[in-house]
Amino acid sequence: MRRATAGLALLAALLAVLPAFARGYALSVATLILYFAYTGQAWNVMMGFAGQLSLGHSLYVGVGAYAAGALFFHYGIGPWAGLWVAILLCVALGLLVGFLAFRFGISGVYFALLTIAFAEFTRIGFDHLDWIGGPAGMFLRVAQRDTWDLANFRGPPVMYYYAMLFLTAGAFALCSFLLKSKAGYYWLAIRENEEAAQALGINTFAWKMLAVAVSSAMTAVAGVFFAFYYNNLFPEQIFHISRSIEIILGPIIGGIGTLFGPILGAAVLTLLSDGITELLGALGWELPGIKQVFYGIVLLIVIVFLPHGIWPGLARKLRLDR
Amino acid sequence: MSSQITRRRFNAALAGAGLAAALAPFGIVRAQARKVRIGVILPRSGYLGFLGQSCQKGADLAPAVIKDMLGVDIELMNADFESNVDTARTRAERLIQEGANVLIGAFDSGASAAIAQVAEQRGIPFVVNIAAAPQITEQGYKFTVRNFPTSVDLVRNGLALIGDLFQATNTAPRSAVFMHVNDTFGQANAKAIAALMPRLTQLPFKIVETIAYDPAAKDLTVEVSKAKATNADFLLNVCRVQDSIILRREMVKQRWQPMGIIGPGNPGMYEEQYYKALGKLSEYSISNVPWYHPKADITRAVEKQFLKQNPKDKPMYHALNVGFTFESILIIADAFKRAKTADPKALNDAIHQTDIKNRMMLGGPIKFNAKGQVEGIASACIQNLNLRPTVVLPANAAEAKPVFPVPGYKKA
Repeated sequence: MRRATAGLALLAALLAVLPAFARGYALSVATLILYFAYTGQAWNVMMGFAGQLSLGHSLYVGVGAYAAGALFFHYGIGPWAGLWVAILLCVALGLLVGFLAFRFGISGVYFALLTIAFAEFTRIGFDHLDWIGGPAGMFLRVAQRDTWDLANFRGPPVMYYYAMLFLTAGAFALCSFLLKSKAGYYWLAIRENEEAAQALGINTFAWKMLAVAVSSAMTAVAGVFFAFYYNNLFPEQIFHISRSIEIILGPIIGGIGTLFGPILGAAVLTLLSDGITELLGALGWELPGIKQVFYGIVLLIVIVFLPHGIWPGLARKLRLDR
Repeated sequence: MSSQITRRRFNAALAGAGLAAALAPFGIVRAQARKVRIGVILPRSGYLGFLGQSCQKGADLAPAVIKDMLGVDIELMNADFESNVDTARTRAERLIQEGANVLIGAFDSGASAAIAQVAEQRGIPFVVNIAAAPQITEQGYKFTVRNFPTSVDLVRNGLALIGDLFQATNTAPRSAVFMHVNDTFGQANAKAIAALMPRLTQLPFKIVETIAYDPAAKDLTVEVSKAKATNADFLLNVCRVQDSIILRREMVKQRWQPMGIIGPGNPGMYEEQYYKALGKLSEYSISNVPWYHPKADITRAVEKQFLKQNPKDKPMYHALNVGFTFESILIIADAFKRAKTADPKALNDAIHQTDIKNRMMLGGPIKFNAKGQVEGIASACIQNLNLRPTVVLPANAAEAKPVFPVPGYKKA
């Protein structure tokens, strides 16, 4: 464990000083990695810890983004106040999905389908909401800034990088705490064998609802970040199932249920994606779609040879699990 | 080898640095004046892949045509943003890092808005080739300009042309049934039409019924029978290519013969696939969309180069995508020629001073307003005649006279 703590401290230090060396493109990629690491961590609470497969996490990103974005756009209410509204809305939505599923015994792939359905009909609903721009999108006012305006969450790219770094570190700490808490042990019990957990007296309904609430609240925060980083929101893009898939790919590749898996997975996938683009560019291969073919092949190889993700095996090799 | 800095080494290094510093400005001027490096960001893969590749053809032919026209050398730096907004942002950053003096793209409003923010932060000009969200040029950006109509202008121009069509053919249909796809694009168009129709009092017709349908629908029997039952004079149709084919076939099957089918600003019915799938049944469908001036000299030059680079393809099927992408590069080349430098700030100032009268697309000169938007981009009334999209209005650009009401199926 001492090796793992030292490794983690080294990584945190490296990430903290990264903007001193990286600008523009590298910083943008690093922010993207941290964004997917954070959302992956949030999803991991539901699937990795409590064993509830959600394929509709774009719902919480979208609702969180639109809630804070719309308050800022229409009333000038800053993101810090909007954040709480976003969290409340997403937790309420999450609890509704959870209640419908867990109360009526919907689980496994059927639960996954329910999460997709919620994301889809929210997308369609938002397409018809003129207040938030409907299908034409909602654009937050932006201006070129060199100084940090934390009150309105406006500033240069480095500010967004540090915000995402702070969120990712916070999510890591929270998940680490949760895993070692009573909730964490109950979630793992539910994940491994729900009937057995129930037989032992665990209120599986309540603990699963808690997992959904924590996960949706965390994802809502990512949505608020998304709104103020990109400054334009379209229902078609933000609620799309491909967004949900992007969120879950990191933890799947990194290692579901592990703390470091989502971070490693997000880094591997983003760097792999950009690395393949660079490599193909260097080779002069400009065939559209060829990158996706290579990307798919690499993912296939990882899943076939490392079915539990990269992190568990790597941690063993580096003796970080001791 | 010793790494110690001796006095002699220090002096040599100082002299070298001094020489480099003295020569650098000349080097820069020479390098900058020779060519402009344009970062082209398009969705060449993903769900917008086909359209992005179509735009790319316009970019690929531009250096040769512009070299002949203006004598300017252009280096294209192509990037595929994979129909993903996150990737659009990182690709823009990458192109700027690799030395792009200016960016163009991105076909999609969300991606264009994301790139505009990067361009603004980095002080690099960004010319939007195609993206219709009005807000892109409403943000007060200093480095982003757009040579493409806004979504509201697109629909307004399309509806106004319907009035021109009726005038040109001495007809006055009283009713229309409005069918539209229920995706983002279709919903946005439907809303714009609902908002604009009451204000366009010169139009003689009323929309008697609105029918929305899924663009991925495999069968439109119910929707078409419902539309037929309205007895409307003509069909106003906001569609995409697949559904427009299914819709047309269903109309024939149900023997519904309105005065015509008119698209008020959407793709679908002038696309190659529409002709290939429907053959003679594709005839007479009308689309009111931004188009190139078929008689302009610049169009001929672009068409010639297009056929040279894509011998198996036809430029008319890429008119809008090729035209606006080519014009984006033309704007940059023209600005580069005037600015005599590829310095992004000077180039940006020159781009804002653009006044290109001899253009490819229909409409007034390419001239940016204070917000960076070109005003007065016109649409053309395109009718499918002899299995090809043909400009029938405005009269000064027309290749044939409009046919309305359209003849029966047997005569087609």
